[in-house]
Amino acid sequence: MALLQVEDLVVRFRTRDGTIHAVNGVTFELEEGERLGLVGESGCGKSVTNLAIIRLLPKPAGRLEAGRIVFDSIDLATLSEADIREIRGRDIAMIFQDPMTSLNPVLTIEEQLVETIQAHRKVTRVAARARAIELLQMVGIPSPESRLKDFPHQFSGGMRQRVMIAIALALEPKLLIADEPTTALDVTIQAQVLDLLRNLTTEGRTALVLITHDLGVVAGMTQRINVMYAGFIVESATTADVFEHPSHPYTVGLLHSIPKINAAPGEELLPIEGRPPDMRRAPTGCPFAPRCAWRLDICWTDNPSLVPLVTGTPLVMTGPNATHQIACHNPPTQAEAEAGRPLRDGFKAASPPEGYQDELSGSRVGVDGAGELPVSEGVDAEPYASAAGLPIEPYDDHGNGPRG
Amino acid sequence: MATIAVGRQRPVAERASRGIWRDAARRLMRNGPALVGMFFIAVFLFMAILAPLLTTFDPVRGVLANQFEAPLTNGHWFGTDLEGRDEFARIVFGARLSLVVGVGSVIMGLFLGGTIGAAAGALGGRVDSVLMRIVDVLLAIPGILLAIGIVAWLGRGLPQIMLAVAATNAPVFARILRGSLLANREVDYVIAARSTGASRWRLLVRHLLPNSVTAVIVAATLALATAIIDVAGLGFLGFGPPDPRTAEWGTMLTDTTQYFREAPFLIFFPGLAIVITAIGFNLLGDGLRESLDPRLKR
Repeated sequence: MALLQVEDLVVRFRTRDGTIHAVNGVTFELEEGERLGLVGESGCGKSVTNLAIIRLLPKPAGRLEAGRIVFDSIDLATLSEADIREIRGRDIAMIFQDPMTSLNPVLTIEEQLVETIQAHRKVTRVAARARAIELLQMVGIPSPESRLKDFPHQFSGGMRQRVMIAIALALEPKLLIADEPTTALDVTIQAQVLDLLRNLTTEGRTALVLITHDLGVVAGMTQRINVMYAGFIVESATTADVFEHPSHPYTVGLLHSIPKINAAPGEELLPIEGRPPDMRRAPTGCPFAPRCAWRLDICWTDNPSLVPLVTGTPLVMTGPNATHQIACHNPPTQAEAEAGRPLRDGFKAASPPEGYQDELSGSRVGVDGAGELPVSEGVDAEPYASAAGLPIEPYDDHGNGPRG
Repeated sequence: MATIAVGRQRPVAERASRGIWRDAARRLMRNGPALVGMFFIAVFLFMAILAPLLTTFDPVRGVLANQFEAPLTNGHWFGTDLEGRDEFARIVFGARLSLVVGVGSVIMGLFLGGTIGAAAGALGGRVDSVLMRIVDVLLAIPGILLAIGIVAWLGRGLPQIMLAVAATNAPVFARILRGSLLANREVDYVIAARSTGASRWRLLVRHLLPNSVTAVIVAATLALATAIIDVAGLGFLGFGPPDPRTAEWGTMLTDTTQYFREAPFLIFFPGLAIVITAIGFNLLGDGLRESLDPRLKR
C-alpha cells in the first residue's frame, strides 16, 4: 500500500472571469521515503495539486471537484477540517517558495517552532524548546540557542529557508511537500538548501514531493518525475528515464530549453514556442497541440490519456521499475528527442482544424506549424546552467531509494 | 552559446534592523509633520494633566463684575467670559475633559468595533455578512447625527457622550480590522502556519491579529481627532456635559455665540484649541500610517 495515492484529482477555481480548470484528473502514487518531482511551467497545476492534498486551496474559489487522496489509508478529500488539521504539520508538512514572506514577521522563530511542536505533541515548553534547538542545529544554523530569540527579518533568505525546513521537519512528517523551495534563493544557496533537503529526507523515512519548474533541480534530487502541463500529467517515469528517454514533446522541449554544460560552441537553445493554454477552457484536444511540432490531426480533437509508453507493459506506479507513461498520440523517437525536432521525411505538424481560434489572442494559429506561432512569453525557458550534468538519483535494490 | 547562466536572484533585505516597532519608531522620528503633531499633542496632554497647576482661577465659578475682560488683563491671559470666568482656566480644564472623553470613547469604540471586526474576519461566511451589513447601516448614518440620536435616547452625561462617539467610531474600526484580517489570510506565512496544523484560534490570535493591529492603531489615532471634534460638536449643539457650567470646548463656543462681537477672543481660543488638537492627532496618525506601512519597509 502506497503512502500516498492520488486518483483522478480535479481542482477548479471559480473566478469572476470564469472557471479555471487548474487540475484535470491527476493520478499518481508515492511510496514511503520516495522522492518525486513535479515539473512544469508556471500555472500548470503542480502547486494546486499539492495544496489540494493538504486541503489548503484558497477558499472559496478553489474547489476539489473530484478525486481521491488516500494518505496512509485515510481519504484526505473527505476528512473534516479538525482531522485534516491534525495531519497537517504532523504527517504532511510543506515548504513554500518564498522564505522572505513565509515566516510571521512579528513572532520569534522560537515561538514559531515551539508553536508547531506544541500544536501536535503534548510536551512542555522547555522540551519543545530543546527540540527547536536540535532542529536548528540539524538544518545548519550556527549557534542555534542564541538565534532562537531572533525575528525572521534578522535572518538571510537562505537561513530563513533553513528555518522553514526545520519547522516542516519538526514532527518528522511522513510526507514533505516542497513547493519551489529554492526558486527565491540565489544559486549558491540553492545548492546548499537542496543538499540539506536531500540529506534530511534520505536519513529519515520522509517521502518528498518536490515541485519545480527547473529540471536541473529534480535531476539530483528525485527518483521519479511527473511532468505536468495544463493540469494534466503528460509524462511520468523514473528520473533516469525522463532524462535518457524523454518521450513527450513537452518534456523534450523542456530539456532542450536548458543550457547544457557540455554544449558545443554555437549550439542553440530551443525554446518551446507559444504559450500555455487558457485554463478557462476545458481542453478538447491535447492541451499541448498548439505548441507541438509532432502534432497530428487527431491531437487537435482528442486529448490522449496517460498510458504506458510501451503498450502492454504492466502498470507499476512507484519505485525503480515504475512504468514509463506518457499522454501523447505521436511521441518523438529517441533520435528526434535528441534533436529536439521531428526528423521524419516530409513530416509537418498538422494544421489546426477549420475555424480553430487561438485561445489567448483570438487570432488564427499559423498554418505551417509550430514555427509560426506567437513568440513565447510565459514560457519557463529561464536559463539554468545546473541541469543535465547532475547525477541522477538511483534506487537501491529494495526499490525504496537510498537511505542513510 | 549557452554555457553560463545565472539563476533568478532576489536582493536579500538585510538592513540593520532591530524589530518592526523600533524600525517604525525610527521612521516616525524622521517624519516632520508627525513631530509637529506630537508637539501639539504634548501641549494638549500637558494642559489636560497639569490643569490645576497651570492656573489659579476657578474654571466653573467666576466674578460677574469681571465679565468680558480682554486677554492679558488682570492676569487673565485669555480674558474672561460672560460670567467673568477665566478663559484660560476653562481651556485648560476643557482639555482635561476632551482627553478623558476622547480617549474613553476611542477605547470603547475599539472594543466594540474590534470585537465585531475580529468576529467577522475570523468566522467569515454568514456571520461576516450579517455583521458587515449592520456596520454598513451605521456607516450610512452621519456620525454626528448618530451621536445626537444616542445622547437623545440615553440622556445627557459623560458616559453617554462617550458611548455616542464610540458608536460612530466602532463601525470604522470594525471595517478596518476585518479588511486587514481578510487580507492577511492569504499571506504566505498564514498559509504556512496553516500547513503546520495551527488551529483557528491560534491563527487568529498569533498570526492574524498581531499583523492586523497596525492599521487599527493608525485608525484609532485619527479617530481621536474626530472624537474630540465630535465631543465639541455635541457640546456646541447642546448635548454637552449635564452641568452647563462644566468647561467644555464645544459648550464654550455655544455660550459665546451671542456675544462674539463684544468678545471675539471667546470664540478664537476654544476654536484654536479644538483645531490644534485635532490637527495634532491627524498629523500623528498620518505619520504612524507611513512609518508602520510594511510596504514602505521593503
